[in-house]
Amino acid sequence: MNRFVSQKFRFYSFVCIALLMFVHGYNLKEGYLRPNSTVGEDLTITTFVEYFLANGALRFRIPMLFIISGYIFALRDYRPYIERVRNRFSTLVIPYFIWSAVGLAITFLLQQFPYTAQLVAEANIDQLGDNRPYAQIGWGGVLYRWVLMPVSFQLWFIMSLFIYNMLYPFFRWVVMKYTAIWFTIVFLLWYVGFQFIFIEGQGMLFFSFGIWLNKSNYPIDKRPEWYSHYLGWLFFIGISIIKTFMAFELEPNAASTFWVLITLHATTILAGIFAVWYGGDAVVRWCMSKRWFVWATAFSFVIYGMHVPVIKYVSMHMFTIWSSISYYRLLTYFAAPVVVLAICIATGTLLREYVPKVYKVMTGGRGFS
Amino acid sequence: MRITFFIILSLFFCGAGVAQSFTFNRFTTDDGIGLSSNVVNSIYQDEKGFIWVGTANGLQRFDGRKFIQFSSFKPGSDAMPDSRLFQIIPLDSGKLFLAYNSIREFGIFNPANFSYKKILLKTSQEIPPRAEFFAWKDFSGQLYLNVIGYDILKFNKNERTFEDNHPFPLPSGWKNTLFGIYEDSIKKQVWICTDSGLCIYDRGSNQMWTKKNNPQHLPVLKNDQIQKNISEIYIDRKRRIWIFGWPEGVAGKQYKYCLDSTGSKYLTKDTSGLNTGPLGYTVYSHFYETRNANLWVYGMGALFNYNQSLQRFQFHKSGSGNDNININYEEVYQVIEDKDGGIWIATDQGLYFTSLGNNAYSVINLMFDNKKSSTYITDILEMPNGDLWFTSWGIGVRTMSKNFEKKDNFVYSPAPPANWSQVAKSNTRNTWCMCRQNATGEVWIGCNGGILLVHDPVKRTTRYLSPAEFNNSTIRYITEDKEGQMWFGTQAGRLIKYNDGRFTVMQDIGSTIYKVFIDRQGWIWLSTHEKGFYAINPVDGKMIQRYTVNNGSNSLYSNTGNDIEQLNDSIIVLGAGVLNFINKRTQAVKLVTYANGLPSNTVARLRMDESGFLWIITSNGLCRYNPNNHRITPYGRKDGIILGELAGNADLKLSNGYMMFAGSNAMIMFHPAVYSTNQSPPPVTITDFKIFNQFLPIDSLLQGGVIQLKNDQNSFSIFFASLSYLQRDRLTYYYKMEGLDKDWVQADKSSYVNYSLLPPGKYTFRIYCENIEGQRPNSITEIKILIKPFFWRTRWFISTLLFFIALIIYALHDLRVKRLMEVEKLRNRVARDLHDDMGSTLSTINILSAMAKSKMSSDAVRTSEYLTKITDNSQRMMDAMDDIVWSIKPSNDSMQKIIARMREFATNVLEPKEIELDFTAEDLVYDVKLNMEARRDFFLVFKEAVNNAAKYSKATKVEMTIAVDNKKLVLVVKDDGIGFDVAKADSGNGLGNMQKRADAMNGKVVIYSKARNGTKVTVTIPLNAPQSNSKRQANGGAV
Repeated sequence: MNRFVSQKFRFYSFVCIALLMFVHGYNLKEGYLRPNSTVGEDLTITTFVEYFLANGALRFRIPMLFIISGYIFALRDYRPYIERVRNRFSTLVIPYFIWSAVGLAITFLLQQFPYTAQLVAEANIDQLGDNRPYAQIGWGGVLYRWVLMPVSFQLWFIMSLFIYNMLYPFFRWVVMKYTAIWFTIVFLLWYVGFQFIFIEGQGMLFFSFGIWLNKSNYPIDKRPEWYSHYLGWLFFIGISIIKTFMAFELEPNAASTFWVLITLHATTILAGIFAVWYGGDAVVRWCMSKRWFVWATAFSFVIYGMHVPVIKYVSMHMFTIWSSISYYRLLTYFAAPVVVLAICIATGTLLREYVPKVYKVMTGGRGFS
Repeated sequence: MRITFFIILSLFFCGAGVAQSFTFNRFTTDDGIGLSSNVVNSIYQDEKGFIWVGTANGLQRFDGRKFIQFSSFKPGSDAMPDSRLFQIIPLDSGKLFLAYNSIREFGIFNPANFSYKKILLKTSQEIPPRAEFFAWKDFSGQLYLNVIGYDILKFNKNERTFEDNHPFPLPSGWKNTLFGIYEDSIKKQVWICTDSGLCIYDRGSNQMWTKKNNPQHLPVLKNDQIQKNISEIYIDRKRRIWIFGWPEGVAGKQYKYCLDSTGSKYLTKDTSGLNTGPLGYTVYSHFYETRNANLWVYGMGALFNYNQSLQRFQFHKSGSGNDNININYEEVYQVIEDKDGGIWIATDQGLYFTSLGNNAYSVINLMFDNKKSSTYITDILEMPNGDLWFTSWGIGVRTMSKNFEKKDNFVYSPAPPANWSQVAKSNTRNTWCMCRQNATGEVWIGCNGGILLVHDPVKRTTRYLSPAEFNNSTIRYITEDKEGQMWFGTQAGRLIKYNDGRFTVMQDIGSTIYKVFIDRQGWIWLSTHEKGFYAINPVDGKMIQRYTVNNGSNSLYSNTGNDIEQLNDSIIVLGAGVLNFINKRTQAVKLVTYANGLPSNTVARLRMDESGFLWIITSNGLCRYNPNNHRITPYGRKDGIILGELAGNADLKLSNGYMMFAGSNAMIMFHPAVYSTNQSPPPVTITDFKIFNQFLPIDSLLQGGVIQLKNDQNSFSIFFASLSYLQRDRLTYYYKMEGLDKDWVQADKSSYVNYSLLPPGKYTFRIYCENIEGQRPNSITEIKILIKPFFWRTRWFISTLLFFIALIIYALHDLRVKRLMEVEKLRNRVARDLHDDMGSTLSTINILSAMAKSKMSSDAVRTSEYLTKITDNSQRMMDAMDDIVWSIKPSNDSMQKIIARMREFATNVLEPKEIELDFTAEDLVYDVKLNMEARRDFFLVFKEAVNNAAKYSKATKVEMTIAVDNKKLVLVVKDDGIGFDVAKADSGNGLGNMQKRADAMNGKVVIYSKARNGTKVTVTIPLNAPQSNSKRQANGGAV
């Protein structure tokens, strides 16, 4: 892997995590986004922009993170399996429990004050749908949330990644041995939205794809001859816009709507990955040449682990104080991620500076360079 | 409980025969609102408030305005019968259990999608032909079916069957009765009546207790009197046990017992009224207890409810005729209480509704039978002791107690003066008005012919007066002002004041004065016959104001006024045809007419109650005007006001707040509070949705949350109702179609709203209602409506179109750029080739010609050499030019041309050197297509190989083969010459060029040569191979 590809990996890991906030900061009425979600509100600038970004153009980020993870994991598969699993345990599983506890602690703390307790209740992000104060839910419920249903719901990704890492020998074998069959299967699983606890079609497809790219020595740094930058971006943005309009206009809960939207969803992701990976080299070079940017990328994992539930509570607070302003939802949608980004980076900086050992455990050793 | 008393009595000759009754509103097939049969077996109110009705013609739903027939029309579901529907029982998820006993069919109907599924009877033995059925549900929702003479069947939800798995093991030989089941949810027991005795199934111990197995020693099971033929059982909220049955040996006489909660003590008082019920054969078969613990007992020929005030059961006799007040029935099938507390009664002669109200006041309707005398009440007076005095035309003054019992008065005890004429004497009985003087307690009675009676009820004396000021004109109205002065209005139009023992004519307007009204400021107001409305100064009798029909914008509706009331310090209300609101300060007149909701434009009486509401008698009955919201509310039969139209002569506000209105044959009395409500109306329900002229199933439409309509379904009607059957006629609806209406619109009384040709888009129809008190439901009802646009007008389609247009434009642009690039590339190549191949040669020729010129005169040999070189170079240049031109020329694109040129070139080169040529080209080669550059490269490689063979090999024979092998174009040039050492060969000359050109085509050159063994040059070019960036597209387009 050449230096520029390495830089691209770091850049896109950071960008994909930062963009998560624009997905998790989605604040329309129907807040739970699935690939086939319709909007359920009238078409306005706010609703269009939020859906376009959160459930359209920015949906490539998790697949891209899986590709990068698969590629990097395959890069070092010369190391003993047990050692690697042990290593991933400390870099994925332990941070999972730590950040899950952090999310619970933040929520519990906010539940102690009437105003912030109201924000927590209105944020309505408990995965079990029970938004009562934890003091009422009790230890059993809190424990269950800590282990399986974290209030920081984004943590499913690293737990899922850990499972794929453990299954890596199988993935590698099947990817290289039965390439076409395997990719057909996982593509279909992704397409239909298969999910079983932490194993789901999306992760398997793109993690496998990352492995295949590495093991087949595919020149990921060279743009394919047939690929056109402009056409790629036009296609990516165009499909995202079409999907957004359809989410407003197609019949909700209809089977045809489901299939149309998930088809567009899949197309958008694939187009987005291509467009972003091959079309952002100049941006990558510029950003990675800036010290401040490289410094910020070190806190990717802190941003990832901490941004939910904080962004939800910050959004609710902004709703409260800005509700009399026109376009307050759109304003919140753009402002909250910036604020949360700053909070996360500041937290990461302080932890790394003053309790580096704790920081190391919390991030699985990431973010020291 | 609001009870309506309907009393028929002769006011002046009989005692009051008071009979309490409900006013029953009857729904029949004649009403034109859709009831399909007068035989109504079952009723049920669902969660939304709809009343479901099981008739002899199947299932219907009532929304307060119309009955809708239901049938199953979901594909795949069973056909729902239009037969007599005996029972409707709610199941989970809004589904309804339906029992069609007469055809032995049972099923489950889902109103959400109109599907109906049959329930099969899965019994081990055949059900007897005479079996009857009765379904019931226990407290857990489990459904059972009593099959008389067989067993109790249990519903199997999964199998959708009733199965005889003996859920309640009766003693052998004991047969359950039809209706004799009671589920005691408190004790978790099921009481079952059988022909052999009472059974109690205890769910806790799973035991069946009977008189023979009575481990708890329950007295009720030991009771010898209820051991046989028990038919009905009920335990009310007081835990009293009601047991009905048929004693052995006593034909046709049902016993009705009420026992205490232990079943040991008979509560005989509690059955008072039941056992003295109707004559003839009756069957008391059902109980119903309202939320207020009002117990109803009904069945064949029986309809009772327990009257709390009388402490006995009240029998509601089946009436005769169609007076729309009584209930008619031979059998009452079901009684239910709706959410408002209204009572619905299903009978074999129609569906009935009656209201119970707030349990505080009564409505009394009095009708005078007039069998012995005419009754024409002209005025009413309440005495301090509560007695009611009536003046009448013809029979003088009569009195009733406040309980409507006849009482004597002594008005006429002192007879009229003996010297009076017979006419004058008889005029004392033609009384018209009455007023009690506060200071003296005397009652002043105005009579026909200007005769005035002044009666002292205490002393029982009467003064008979015929003052000259009255001029023998009938006294139409008497009133007293704050100073104690008496005022009189006469038929002839005189306003007369009585003060200090003398009468004074204050005004003479020349037409009948119907009413003299003294307002809060002491002004005297006169309503007259055809003379308009006067305000008179009480001091001097002069007119202050006058209102007539000719007052311009402040005109009255009519010059004849019947009654006057004061609304507040400024507003005087005159009942002159319509309501005339007169502002005495501004003299502005505002009319409230039929168009504003008044039942009729003939106002007879108006009186204000203690709450400030104005009660009005019109020729179409009673109504109420609310000055706060200016809303008029009519009251009629379903409110207990039966005789409103007939009570337009006299009125009185009683000291206890009751309002009384009376007329020629009737009187009504009610307390206004009975019609006030603290209950907000329920949220408005969308009852129907009609597109063009077709009703759509609203339950199904609303299931998805949004009613989605096609673009051509943009004209529709929305029907709505607040499902309160008590308030339904007194609700005002306001709606707004968001996306269309900017403000709320008040609905008319039709309870639906039409929308025509709405443009595609999203709409939200919102609606709420207000009752007469201005109360609104807790929530605003809304339905979302989506009228789908034509797909070509959707944003997604337009954006897709733009997307593809952009793609096409970009693709065309890309194509154009590529072509320009190709042209540019061609020009560059030609320029390069000309420069490379010709430029240097021309330079050489130039130099050689210069040198030849300089040597021409001095050195002929040199000059000749130079000229020879010039000739060679020129020839090479011509060849190169020929190659360039040949390669560019499109007509040479075919392989045939290439082969021909190769063959020609080889022949031209080898023949002069007498080298034999063997040139072979496979047929497949002719199908290969090479583009311009590949063609040139391929030819030049060949040319190089041939030149090498001709120049250096010293061969006698050269074999050339062109073939296609494994998707590769293969050229072999083989000679039998001297060969050379390939390893030592200089790669900088022609061999290097060959390799370079082969690379450009992604091909390769293999040279095999050995000294004295000839040379073999093999050139392999892949067809359809991908090209890297660094290579020219040598075979681009090769197929």
